Formats: sequence, structure tokens, C-alpha cells
Amino acid sequence: MTTEFVFATAQYDSGDWDSAPLLPANIIDTIARYTEINVAPTGVIAPLSDARMLRYPFLYLTGHLPVRFSDAERRNVRRFVERGGLLFIDDHNHDIDGVFHKTATEEIARTVAPLTELPNDHALYSSFFKFDGPPTTSHELNGWGDNLVHKHLLAVQRRGRIAVLFSSKDYSSEWNYHPDSKRFLSVDNTRFAVNLVVYALTA
Amino acid sequence: MRSLRRRLELGCRIGAFALLGWLIGTSIFRAPRRAVERASDRELLARLPSWTRTPSSVALHGTLDAAPTPVVLAWLSALRHAGHGVTWSGSPPAAVVVAEPVTAPGGGVRVNVAAPANSRVTVGDVAGTIDSAHVAGLGASFTLPLTVDSLIVRVNQQRQAVARPNDVPPRAVLVVGDAGWEAKFVAGALEERGWKVVTRFAVAPNVDVRAGEQPAIDTAHFAAIVAIDSTVAALGPAVQRFVEQGGGLVLAGASAGARSVSPLAAGAVGARVRRNVAANDTIGLGSTGFYPVTSVREDAVALERRASAVAIAARRVCAGRVLQVGYDDSWRWRMAGASGSEAAHRDWWSRVVSSVAFTPALPANEEKTFDAPVAALFGHLGPPRPAPVASSGNVDPRIPLAIILLLLLVEWTSRRLRGLR
Repeated sequence: MTTEFVFATAQYDSGDWDSAPLLPANIIDTIARYTEINVAPTGVIAPLSDARMLRYPFLYLTGHLPVRFSDAERRNVRRFVERGGLLFIDDHNHDIDGVFHKTATEEIARTVAPLTELPNDHALYSSFFKFDGPPTTSHELNGWGDNLVHKHLLAVQRRGRIAVLFSSKDYSSEWNYHPDSKRFLSVDNTRFAVNLVVYALTA
Repeated sequence: MRSLRRRLELGCRIGAFALLGWLIGTSIFRAPRRAVERASDRELLARLPSWTRTPSSVALHGTLDAAPTPVVLAWLSALRHAGHGVTWSGSPPAAVVVAEPVTAPGGGVRVNVAAPANSRVTVGDVAGTIDSAHVAGLGASFTLPLTVDSLIVRVNQQRQAVARPNDVPPRAVLVVGDAGWEAKFVAGALEERGWKVVTRFAVAPNVDVRAGEQPAIDTAHFAAIVAIDSTVAALGPAVQRFVEQGGGLVLAGASAGARSVSPLAAGAVGARVRRNVAANDTIGLGSTGFYPVTSVREDAVALERRASAVAIAARRVCAGRVLQVGYDDSWRWRMAGASGSEAAHRDWWSRVVSSVAFTPALPANEEKTFDAPVAALFGHLGPPRPAPVASSGNVDPRIPLAIILLLLLVEWTSRRLRGLR
């Protein structure tokens, strides 16, 4: 029996970190549905200002509001990345001119390194299911937010692995529903989350 | 019946003639004069040229607090074969030095020194001293990442030198396990330390995530296999063949319980020890618990204990080595440990793999990587003996002549007192 994978949502002081409360349960359901990964049945909340956030090597961070890390948050995020953790940041606004996008990308540049485009043939897109790039979301196609379909995710890579992954695609809205509602979907739109978790656990 | 006086006169006469005969004999057949040359181990090298010029009748003796260098020993051995009586006494430390290559990407040398208890051992190279140790038991072991030219070991006053062994060409490490943090961070630590890592992580039924070229499991391609959990059973009998060929096997956590590898393990897998870790405790290796090695086999060695339980045990199987490591969540140490824990985790796992990694037979180094000078001393000059006693040869002839005169005077006086001429 291996150590459980615990889905952890990052809590930060400056914004609405809990804007997608149903997402963790949905992703946990997806992981359990498609894989044999030993996943904890419930997620946890990991405050970035507390060093115990280092006990969760995969962190999900989202929000609509400006992101400004405190010194403690910045120090912990830096250590988290240096030690091999993967921070997945998703812009809940789906708006590259929005405050979340601007402030979060600045904060990551200041804390870790500038984000760069992740090529669409990266191992992330074939770690479990095969994708030609980041899957689109219904919010992108509806023209909500910046009215753009983002062709790439952004990332900071360290020693050949993704350390910080930044999405402007608003997966937080796309995946923020009760797992039971999946049965109404012709194609499960959370499959990319499996790739994310498998990549984090194996790369 | 002769009187007592006449017997005395006869005795004096016979004694005087006997002494005269002995003097004549020793003047014709001179007894060899025996001289002894002595030197301490520090003086030996300087004295050897003059010793070589001395007649072979001169006994040569070394008083040794340290075994002589190979040059001195060879010279003494040559003198012995040339007819000199060469002996030695003293108690040089019976030390043996062996240098072997470290099977790891960074290379390096492991120097094992067997020396008497309480010896002081220093290890260095031509550039200077690198490390030292006080021997508490049987010896000391040093791992030197970088050395210049030959290695110099001093055991107390005794200097020994061995050649740097040839480096071992690195081979890959196969990490097998379920997709999880332990497997990921073990593979990551080894990769960061320079090992070529091939991974097979089970994600779903019949779905593995594999990284790196996946060649056949043999010692031509792999130095070691690291089994994180029981998924190693999927490799079947290939693991046993690999170990028998000389490959290394690390059975981490509960993986030793897998049916296909349990015959290779150092022991059985006990119930996991779970420790109470407070929320603010600093996490270290094993601080969250481990799987103890129980029923340790007779041919296995317990290497690390935690409280009363064995945490790590090792065993040799044919040409290969198997290490059973009870720790199953070392990733917590790396991620949430104290400052520097990431590097410590990396180094620890590299050492674990290095300790079992397959070491190919390499062409012999031209210079020796093994030195046992006291054994060589015994081999060349035999066991220690007391220094021979010097002798000056013939007795001073004036002494027997004086005795002869005295005897003749006594005999003549006695005869005159009896009235004879």
C-alpha cells in the first residue's frame, strides 16, 4: 500500500482561494474512476503560509481576485518548488487582462521564475489520456471572459519537470460540479485532471 | 701411588700444553667475528646503502614501530637472499588498506582500512590529508569523491599507499512501483544525483507509465532495481536472474513481501511501525514509521535499527546484493524535512543504490589497490625475533699465554721444592 495521494487546495491570504469548492471532490472521483492510484477520499486545504503545505507535493490554486503572496507564502512556495512539488494555478476569470492573471503571473515570476508557454507535445498531454494540447473549456468556446481560446498552458520547468503550471482556461469553472453530474456528459471533461495528477506522480 | 703434589705438577703441565695447543689451533683456524647492525624504521632507508656494502657476516636487524615501505622491504629481502642475516623486532600495526571504486555516477573511491582498535587513521592523497578517524573496533571506511593520484593512508606512524582504482562505467537504475510520491521522489532523487533512471509506474490495470528506454533486465543494462512496493512482482523471475548475475536489488517498504522477490529478501516484512508525529514536528527519514525487517535470515546482516526493530538489512544472493529498506515514505523527509533535507534525501538514496549496484569486473589496475605491509613483512623476513648478540671473534692471546706461564711456574716451583731440577 503506497502513500495516499491527497488533493490539496492552496489557501492564500490575498484572494478568494476557495472559489471552486466542488472541484476537489470531482477530481478525486475522476482519479479513482480511471486509475489505481491510491487517492484520499477527501481533499485538504493547505495554507501557503504554513510550512505544512510542503506535505502535499501537488497543490491546486485558483481564484478571481489579485494574488499577492506574503513573505511566508513566498518562502514556502519557493521551497515547495525547489523540493519537487507541482503547483497548478488556474485562472477562474478566464481573462488574460483580469487581475488574477496579471497578479498571479507576476507573483510566480517574482517567487519562482517567469512563466513560458508549454509546448502542446509535452509529456503532460500524454501521461494518461492523449491530448493534442490543453483541452478547451465551455467558457472559452462561449466567448466568456477574454473571448480567447488559449492554445497553450504556461509553465515554469525545473530540471526538466513542470514545477508551476498556469492555466488561463478556467478549468475551475469547468470542473466545479458534483461528480454525480458526470453521467450527463457524453465525454468526461475532467479527464485532463487525470493527466495532471499522473504527471505529478510520475514525472 | 703418586703423591698429590706430583698429580698437581702433571695437571699443570697438561693444562699448559692444552692451552698452547688451543692457541696454535685458533691462530690457524680463526673463529668468525660476528657484528650486528641495527636501525629503527625511520633510519632504515638511509642505512640500507651502507648495509649493502657490509660483509654478509654482519647481522642486520630492524627495530620497527611501523612496517617498512615496499622499497625498503624489497631491499631487505634482497639482502637476506644475498646471505645477510636479516631479522626484525617490534610491533607495527597490522593494518590492511583496500581501495575500491564507488559505483555511482560521480565515481569516487571507497577506502576500507582494517586496523587495531584505538589506532588513528588518516586518509589523503598526494595533495594532502582528506579525512581521519579513530578506530573503535575493527577498522574504518572512507568514501572520497575526488582524489588526486594515489591514496595515502597513515595508521598511527605507519604510511601505506595504494593506487586509485579505475572508475566503474555507470549503468541505469530501474525504479518500479505504483504511481505515487515515494516512487516519483526516489526516481527524482537518483536522477538529480546523476543516475540514469528508467521507471515503470503502475497507474491503472495493465497501464504503466514508463520513462526512459526499457531494455532487458540484466546487468548489461542495469546496475540495480529499486522496488518501491509489491508491483515488482510483475517483473517475475527476471529479478532473481538479475540478482544472481550480480545486480543490486533494493526492496523498499513492504515490497519484500511480494512473492517473486521474498526469497531474495533479507527477512520478512513486519507490521508497519507508526509513530506519533505532531503537527509541528520536523519530519526526518523514518520519523513517520517504517516496515521493520523481521525474521532476519542467518546469512543477512542488520545494518540499521530503530528502537528494537531492524530498519535496514542486507544480504548477498549469488553474485548480487539485496538491501531491504523498511522506509516507505522517504518523500516526506525530502518535501517537509528541515533545511537541506532535499539534498540529504538525494544523497541517501544514491548511497543506498550505490551500496548494492552491480560492479563489472574491470581490467586489473596496473598498480596495486590493496596493501597489507605487515603481512608482507612476515612473508619476506619471517616473524619477529630478538636482535642477535654481537661477538668479537678470537680471545685476546695474552690471557691464555699468561695462564700457561702461571701453570708452568707452579709446576717448576713445586718440582724445585721437592729437590728436583
